Amino acid sequence: MRRLLCIVCSMAFLLTGCSHSRQIESAAIIENVTVDRQDGGLVYTFYRLTSGDDPWGIAVSAKNFEEACRLASEEYIPNLSLSKLELLLISEDAAETVMTTDLPYISTQPFFSPVAYLTLCDDRTVDAFRKTNRTQRLIEQQLILLKNHNPSVSIDYLSVFNHLAADRAEGFLVPFIYSDKELKIAEYRLHAKKMTENH
Amino acid sequence: MSAETPFSSKRFLLALMLAACSVILLQNHSLSENSSFLFELASMAAGLALCFLCFVPTLLLRKLRNADILQLSARSPAVVKLPVAVFYAGYFVYTALYFLIPYTDMFHAKYYPGVSPCLITVVLLGCCVYAAVKGVNVITRFGIFLFLFAMLTNILMFGGNLTALELTADSLSWQGSTDDFWQNTRYFLTPAFIAAVFACLNAETNNFRLRQPVCALLFTGLKYAAVLFFIRFAVGAYAGRQEYPTFVLSRTAHFDRFAGVESFYLALATMSVFMIVSLLLCCVTKAADREKNLKTVVLFTLILLAMYTVSAYVNSVKEILTNQNVFIIFTGIASLLPLAGLIGGRKSNAPTLVHSM
Amino acid sequence: MVITLKNSIKEIKLNLHTKFADSADLTIREITLKSANRLTAAVITMEGLVDKEQLAQSVLNPLMVYDFGNMPPQRAAETIQNSVAAAADLAAFTTVDELVTYITSGFAVLVVDGAEILFAAGTQGYAFRGVSEPESEVVQRGSREGFSEPLRVNMSLLRRRMKSPELVFEQMTVGSESQTQLMLCYLQSKVSGQLLETLRSRLNACRLETVLGAGYLSDYLEDKNTSRLFSGVGISERPDTVCGKLTEGRIAIIVDGTPAVLIVPRLFVEEFQGVDDYSNRTYYATFIRLLKYLSFFIAVFLPGLYVALAQFHPEYIPSFILIKTAEALSQTPLPVTLEVLMMTLVYEIMKEAGLRIPKSLAHAVSIVGALVIGESAVTAGIISSSTLMVVATAAICSYVTASLYPPIMALRLVFIVVGGLAGLWGIVLATAVVIISLCSKTSLGVPYMSSLSPFSLRRMRDVFLRVSWKELGRHTIRVQKFPETEADHVR
Repeated sequence: MRRLLCIVCSMAFLLTGCSHSRQIESAAIIENVTVDRQDGGLVYTFYRLTSGDDPWGIAVSAKNFEEACRLASEEYIPNLSLSKLELLLISEDAAETVMTTDLPYISTQPFFSPVAYLTLCDDRTVDAFRKTNRTQRLIEQQLILLKNHNPSVSIDYLSVFNHLAADRAEGFLVPFIYSDKELKIAEYRLHAKKMTENH
Repeated sequence: MSAETPFSSKRFLLALMLAACSVILLQNHSLSENSSFLFELASMAAGLALCFLCFVPTLLLRKLRNADILQLSARSPAVVKLPVAVFYAGYFVYTALYFLIPYTDMFHAKYYPGVSPCLITVVLLGCCVYAAVKGVNVITRFGIFLFLFAMLTNILMFGGNLTALELTADSLSWQGSTDDFWQNTRYFLTPAFIAAVFACLNAETNNFRLRQPVCALLFTGLKYAAVLFFIRFAVGAYAGRQEYPTFVLSRTAHFDRFAGVESFYLALATMSVFMIVSLLLCCVTKAADREKNLKTVVLFTLILLAMYTVSAYVNSVKEILTNQNVFIIFTGIASLLPLAGLIGGRKSNAPTLVHSM
Repeated sequence: MVITLKNSIKEIKLNLHTKFADSADLTIREITLKSANRLTAAVITMEGLVDKEQLAQSVLNPLMVYDFGNMPPQRAAETIQNSVAAAADLAAFTTVDELVTYITSGFAVLVVDGAEILFAAGTQGYAFRGVSEPESEVVQRGSREGFSEPLRVNMSLLRRRMKSPELVFEQMTVGSESQTQLMLCYLQSKVSGQLLETLRSRLNACRLETVLGAGYLSDYLEDKNTSRLFSGVGISERPDTVCGKLTEGRIAIIVDGTPAVLIVPRLFVEEFQGVDDYSNRTYYATFIRLLKYLSFFIAVFLPGLYVALAQFHPEYIPSFILIKTAEALSQTPLPVTLEVLMMTLVYEIMKEAGLRIPKSLAHAVSIVGALVIGESAVTAGIISSSTLMVVATAAICSYVTASLYPPIMALRLVFIVVGGLAGLWGIVLATAVVIISLCSKTSLGVPYMSSLSPFSLRRMRDVFLRVSWKELGRHTIRVQKFPETEADHVR
C-alpha cells in the first residue's frame, strides 16, 4: 500500500506540473519599473535585479501595465517576476494615465509587491535611471529622508493606492524626484478625486 | 474504528481552536461595506456566541448520558443508527470539501498557477489519509506543533504590518444597520463546524472543562478581531481588491527590506487544512462505525476526491459545495442533533468520564 | 530442554566432546585425589578464558593437598564446596546446559567422579579492553569512564555509582547459538512492573541465533506499528548517563561483549540532553540546548529549503543573497536539486571512507576531499559555492546531535527531493507527515514526543531549559508517569 502510494505521488508530481519550476538562474526578478512617455505613447521599462552597476532593462511600448507585462513575458523575459519589485518610477507626463488605469489593475494582481516604492519623477530622472543602477539607491535614500521628514507622505504602492481609493477631497502627498545635476526630492500633492473623475 | 487511549480534552479543544482559526485564513471578505470596525466586532461577538450555543447540546449529552452522539446512535436500533451515520458521514465529507475547495483555489491562484488543482488535492488527501489512520489523538498532538507555528506566523503577519497602520479619529465610530448585522453575523458562524466535530469525538477525551470551548472561541474571536483590525487599518481598500484578505495581509507584512511572510501563510494554511481534513476523516470513520479503519478512510477519501473533481469541472456543484448558507444549515443540524439523543438515547454503561462543568 | 548430568567423569567427557565436536580449546584435566578409595576428579575449562594462576591457587592446589580419607564421592564434593576450594565465586549445579554456560563464560568446572553435584569456580581471566573514555560521548566535565566489553565489568561500573540495594541486575540469555548473556538493570523502587514485564516478553520473543552486539536487539525492543525512522531505544557508553536514566524509571540492557548499553524507553527530547548540561551553568546549558534544536532543524531542512527556494520561490530570498546565489548557480551545469543531492551523497561517501580507512591515511583523504570537492569543483564551475556552503553547514549541524544522524540524513534526502519536486508546499506537507509519524510513535508504550506533545509545562524545565539542580532535584520525573503511556497496548 505504502509503495503504491509513493509511486502514485511521484508520478503525479512528475506528470502534472510540479516539474515546471521557475529556477533561480533563469528567473527574471524585476527590481524596478519605470514608465515614461515617448512619441506620445507609454514606455514601460523593466529592470532586472543585478549585482553590477550597469542596468539590465527591457523597454516595452504598451497601452497599459497589463499589456506591458504580457509583451515583456512573451517577447523578452519568459520567467518574469514582479514579487521583489522595489521601485515603480513614473514620469510626470505619464502619471495621470498610470494612476487612473494601472494602479487599479495592479491592486488586483497577487504577483505585484504591495510594499514597492511608488514615486513620480521628471524625464531627466528616468534618463539617469537608464544609465546606472546607482540612481535607484540614490532615489531610495531620498525617499527614506522624505519619510523621516514627513511621515504623512505616501511612498509605497499600498499607501498610494489606499489614498487614491479613499477619494479624499484634499488630496494626499506623494514623493516627486527631480534631477538637475543631482537627484532631489519634493512633496507632490495628488488629488484623488480629480484622478477618479478623469478616469 | 479502533478504540483509542483517552487523551486530554484540553488538547482536543486546542486542535479545534486551530481549525476554527484556520477558517479565517481561507475566508473571503464578505462583510458589509457599510459597517464600521466596532460594528463588525459586535457582529463577531454575536456570531461566536451562536457558535458556542452549538456546543450546548453536546455538553448536555456528555453530562447526562456520558456519551457522544455517535456512541449513542451506535447503541440505538438500525432505524435510528443508519440515518444518523449517513447524515454525519455526508456532513463531514461536505465540510471537508468546503475547506478543500477554497484552499486549492487560493493555492492555485496565488502560488502555483501552472499546477493542476486536482494534483494538489490528491497529494494533500494522501497525506490526510495517513494522519486519519493514526487517529484523533495523534492529530491533536500534531496540533501542538501547529499552534506554535500559528503563533509565529501571526506574530510575523501582524508585526510586519504595524508600520502600515493608519488610525484616524473616526476609526472607532459605530455604523451599521440590522441587515448589516445579520450579514456579518452569518460570516462569523463558519467556525461553528468545530461544535459538530466536538459532538462526534468528545467521548474519547477526558478532563473536560466548560472553559475549554469558551477559551477556544475567545481565542478565535481574538484572531478574527486582529485580522479585521489590520485589514481595515493597515491594508485598507487594497484588501477588498483581492481574494483571501488574510493572504494580502501576509503579503504586505515586511520588516524593513525583509518580506515573504506569505510563505508562512502558505505553510500555515496547508497544515491547517491538512489537520481539518484529517480530523473530518476521523469523524467520518467514526460515523461509519467501522473496525477496518484504513479501508473506511480510503473509501471516503476517494469519495471526497471524486466530488472535488466534479466540482472542478461543474461550476454549479462547486457553488453548492462552497455555499455558506448550506454549510451553516448543515452545521446547525449536526450540532443540534445531540439534543435528539438527549431525548431518546439510553444512558451509557461505560465507566464515568471525569468531567466537571 | 534441561538434561541432567550423569555423575561419571567419563560420561561427562563424552558428552562434552560430542557437544563441542572435539573443539581444541576444551580442556579437561583429570586428577586423582588424596583419598583411601582413590577418588578421581576433573577440572573442565575453556582455554584462554581462565586465569591459570588463579585456577592453580584456588582450585588445583587445595584439591591436591587435601586428604579426603575414606569419604564417598558425594561427601567429598560437599567438602570441596565447604572447606577445600579457595575460589571466591563458587556455584553448584546439576545440568549440562549450565555446565556449557559456565565453561564458555570462563568458569572452571569441578567434577568429582560419582558425585551428584558439580561446581563452577570463578577463575575468569581472559584478555579484555580496559575501562576508557568513550569516543562517541566525550564530555568536558565529568567522568572519563566508559563501558567496556565484559558484562561483569560494566555491572561493576554501575554498581560503583549506585550503591543502593534498589539497583537490580536480572540475567537473561539471548541467541540460540551465541548464548549471549545480558543483564536487565533497573531500580526496583522506580521501575514500572508493567514496563519490565513488557520488556522481558520482548526479549524472550527474540529468536536470533547469534547476538553479537546490543544493536541486534534494538528492533525487538521497538513498539509494533510505529515509525522506525527515529529510534525508540537509547544507547549510551557512559555509566553516569545510564545511572541518570535508571533514576527516572528506565531500564538498561547490558549485553555481554558490547560497550554500548541499551536504554528504554527513549524519548525525542533526550536526544538533545547531554551529560555536560548538568555540570554547566544553567544559562549556558539552556543556550546549548536551544543551539542543539536549532542545529537539528538546520541539518534537516536547510538543503531542502535551499532547493525549494532556488527552484520555485526565488522571490523569497533577500535581494543581496539572491543576486550572488543566482550568479553562482547560473555558472554550473546541473540543476540545483541534482547539485545538492549529488553533493550530499559525495559528502556521505567521504564520511564513510574517513571512518573506515586507517588513521594514518585519514588526513590525506580529508585534504584530497577538501581540495577536490571544496575548491577545485567550485573553481571548475561544476558546483556552486552557495550549494557547497549549504551542504557543508547542514553536515556540520547534523553532528551536534550525533545520535540522531541516521534520521537526519534520511529526512534531509527526502526534503531535498520533495523541495525539488514540489517546492515549499511539498516541504510543508512532508513536515506535517513526519510530525504525525513522530507523534504516533511510542517507546515501550510511552509517547516518543512526550513533554512536547503530549505537552507538559512542568517537564519543560529539562527540555528547552535546564533549570538549577535545586529545582530539578526536588522531584524526579519517572518515565512511566508520562501522560498517555499505554503499556497494555504495546505487547
